[in-house]
Amino acid sequence: MNNQNKEFKMGPQMETGNFGGSQGGETLYIQHFRNEEARFLPYYMEKMQGYTALKKAFGMTQAAIVDEMKKSNLRGRGGAGFPTGIKWGFINDKTPFPRYLVCNADESEPGTFKDRDIMRYTPHLLIEGMVIGGFAVSANVGYIYIRGEYTREAKLLQEAIDEAYDKGYLGKNILGSGFDFDLTVHRGAGAYICGEETGLLNSLEGKRGEPRVKPPFPAQAGAFGKPTIVNNVETLANVPFIVNRGGDWFSKLGRLERSGGTRLLSISGHVKKPGVYEIPAGGMTIRQIIYDLCGGVLNDRKLKAVIPGGSSAPVLTADEIDVIYDIEPLMKVNTMLGSAALMVVSEDYCVVKLIHRITKFYAHESCGQCTPCREGCHWMESIIERILHGKGREQDLALLTDISDNIAGKTLCALGDAAAGPVASFVKKFKPDFEAYIRGGKHA
Amino acid sequence: MLKCTIDGREVEFQSGQNLIEVAKKAGIEIPYFCYHPGLSIVAQCRMCTVEIEKNPKLQTACSTPASDGMVVSTKSEKAKKNQRSVMEFLLVNHPLDCPICDKAGECDLQDNSFKFGDAYMRTSEDRRTFMDLDMGPVIKKNMNRCIHCTRCIRFGAEVAGIREMVAIQRGNNTEITTIDGRPLETEYAGNYSDICPTGSLTLKDFRFKKRAWFLKKTATVCEGCSRGCNMEIQQEGGQIYRCIPRENQEINQWWMCDEGRFNYRYTMDKSRITEPKVGTPGALAQTDWGSAIQAARKAIQGKKTLLLLGSDLTQEEAILLQKFAKQTLANADVRHFGTPGVKTVADDAAADRLLKRKSKTSNLHGVEKLGISAFESIPAGTEAILVVRGGRAVLPSFGGVASVVGVGVFADSEAKALSTVLPGAAFTEKDGTIVNFQGQEQKLKRSVLPAGKSKALSEILALWTHQGAGLSSQTGSKSSAATLSEGAV
Repeated sequence: MNNQNKEFKMGPQMETGNFGGSQGGETLYIQHFRNEEARFLPYYMEKMQGYTALKKAFGMTQAAIVDEMKKSNLRGRGGAGFPTGIKWGFINDKTPFPRYLVCNADESEPGTFKDRDIMRYTPHLLIEGMVIGGFAVSANVGYIYIRGEYTREAKLLQEAIDEAYDKGYLGKNILGSGFDFDLTVHRGAGAYICGEETGLLNSLEGKRGEPRVKPPFPAQAGAFGKPTIVNNVETLANVPFIVNRGGDWFSKLGRLERSGGTRLLSISGHVKKPGVYEIPAGGMTIRQIIYDLCGGVLNDRKLKAVIPGGSSAPVLTADEIDVIYDIEPLMKVNTMLGSAALMVVSEDYCVVKLIHRITKFYAHESCGQCTPCREGCHWMESIIERILHGKGREQDLALLTDISDNIAGKTLCALGDAAAGPVASFVKKFKPDFEAYIRGGKHA
Repeated sequence: MLKCTIDGREVEFQSGQNLIEVAKKAGIEIPYFCYHPGLSIVAQCRMCTVEIEKNPKLQTACSTPASDGMVVSTKSEKAKKNQRSVMEFLLVNHPLDCPICDKAGECDLQDNSFKFGDAYMRTSEDRRTFMDLDMGPVIKKNMNRCIHCTRCIRFGAEVAGIREMVAIQRGNNTEITTIDGRPLETEYAGNYSDICPTGSLTLKDFRFKKRAWFLKKTATVCEGCSRGCNMEIQQEGGQIYRCIPRENQEINQWWMCDEGRFNYRYTMDKSRITEPKVGTPGALAQTDWGSAIQAARKAIQGKKTLLLLGSDLTQEEAILLQKFAKQTLANADVRHFGTPGVKTVADDAAADRLLKRKSKTSNLHGVEKLGISAFESIPAGTEAILVVRGGRAVLPSFGGVASVVGVGVFADSEAKALSTVLPGAAFTEKDGTIVNFQGQEQKLKRSVLPAGKSKALSEILALWTHQGAGLSSQTGSKSSAATLSEGAV
């Protein structure tokens, strides 16, 4: 085991941060991260009240579990922030069988790497959360759809699942409850779009990873056409805490009314200490995160821009960072929390190059089925590329804004919005940088 | 009654109907590309988006069922802007080669661009291009024109029952192609061209032959099998260029098979006999109608005759022949023939999962209704045979009978056992009724004039009886004339 552990050690640049700011508060995950023993069952049983929540859940009614989830104000950690309790509540007595529980471990949003640490260091939290979730919605089969590039994590997860099967936390008649639950790890093949839940389900079924028309939503017709709940890794990993200590306790961990628990942040870019951090939900502003938590901008340069929620979130300028880092405050400034992946950009980096790279990503990852995304993303990429090569025209900026407006909200899935939002916001907020390329043919 | 409002008009609808269908019923056009009533709904092209009251986002009309009290606008500023924008997106990479494209004139992309798009383009980037592969004998693919509606993929998987068309790559590079670039296998490949909303999949048979707007269209029925798919013959100047299916929910929905689609070819074929011919089997010589009729009469006159009637003839023709047999041929035995192995309606069954029937003649069920029984074998003592067929009924062996008069459509190769050929009208050249396997009576409509010197059956029989007046010992000319005016079509 020790030999295997070595390969998971992170480099010095990738500090896993620890929450210690003035806001205080309990952390759930971070103290176990980077501990190579944490992923094994003995540690989980001893230090993390392993599988006690599962025992407790078996003593509760399914409705009571869903109620606790609702009380917890746990908002989905994948990006959309949908209240998990309400999602589980879509499954009721009238929902036909079989039902499936799927964990979205695709974590494909650029800048996001928090789920990876959960799977590396506390995989049993996820497994226990999934068994409880399966019990709560009467699903006997669960899938973990894991990002194709996470080869090591897939292996670690499988090892943890094998441990759980050995001890009877998975399989038939779990802990004598009469409840059966089987869990399968399914590896993706490297498409961003398979992080979209219906694209994920298509891929899981062996089809082309393309999002489906909604409705029907997965809770009505999901995996294999059956009712399915799809939750993010961090969302499901929170479940054992909520069951053990109550929804109210969890809700109070958060500092905002409708956002409970703690949040794992993936912080990357030009900060002194990038990495995974844990803060109370809504407990800090972006400024506090960058300067207090992460030690400030790299090389003490000036801050240029912040992409707050994974590369699909509209950008914020250095003047806009005194905003509480959570779902609703960020919505008020026309951006989003997304997967809580904060990307920090210093004045040393060219924002036109940055938006080109982001747009290229979305053009490359567009599945190609719906018109505005297939044609529009690539068109935007071509225009920005032309601007970068000094062949921009004055009208290109208005054209980019209009194309992004024609994509946003008009596509089959959210990838269109993900591609359009950054372009519109970069053009709006960093117009002089673009104009410098257009007029002078080079970087301002 | 459920009602919704579309563009200020109150429209009644049935539960489950989508907004495109509801609007269509009210005469309001919602443009679309990927939607097809016979295929699953994917809401991919985004052209049909409409604004629905109380809904902040535009909704696709194809995937939105109408609901009671719904207020829909297809022409609001927001909806119109999106129509313009989708058209613009679709044309960013479309080659706009309408002047050399066979689809021009009947192209959804062209029509919708004209109606809903902008006259100006804002793109100056290079268009994406693809290398095209061969897709077999029926369909020519031009991927550059494709707008990725995926109708072809869905048609293959959902209707034809074969997953041969697929999307490969993704995003801007998405290519619609066949699995591993193999040729198409389905026997319904022509439909790919029909449902393609642009010139990406065209019929090789029709390619570069005629601009769509010159074609004159005749609604008729296919004679390829006992289903009787509804179709349209498209011709100009007597030359048929193609046949396409017409929608009939009870019979063929929107589809037809390739066999039926290209069946018309034999009527235009060079080997078709379109001049009267007389002689001995294997050595026929061209002649005029007068001599040919006389020769035919002589061949049959006073002999024990068997009348073989193809089950590809219309009801009218069959009735005419029944009377002719009774009155002119001294009650000759009348039997029908058509598809080897499918003697009676009891033998007729579905030949595949979709449309095809085992009986390869159109009117088997009709001629049986007239009380005509199936041909089994040539009765002993038969001295002459009069064989009448439309063009598809497979000729039986004539068992050494020397005097065989053929009336109808024959190819040179089929005429080898005949001593006289009186060329008749093909299904494209006549009106008439056929009865399909469901018992549905349908009308054939004349699309073109009989080829060469061919004549309609009624005319041939009229010549026969009139020229024969006085010669005939069995029948008086009066009654023959009466028969013909009764049965004339």
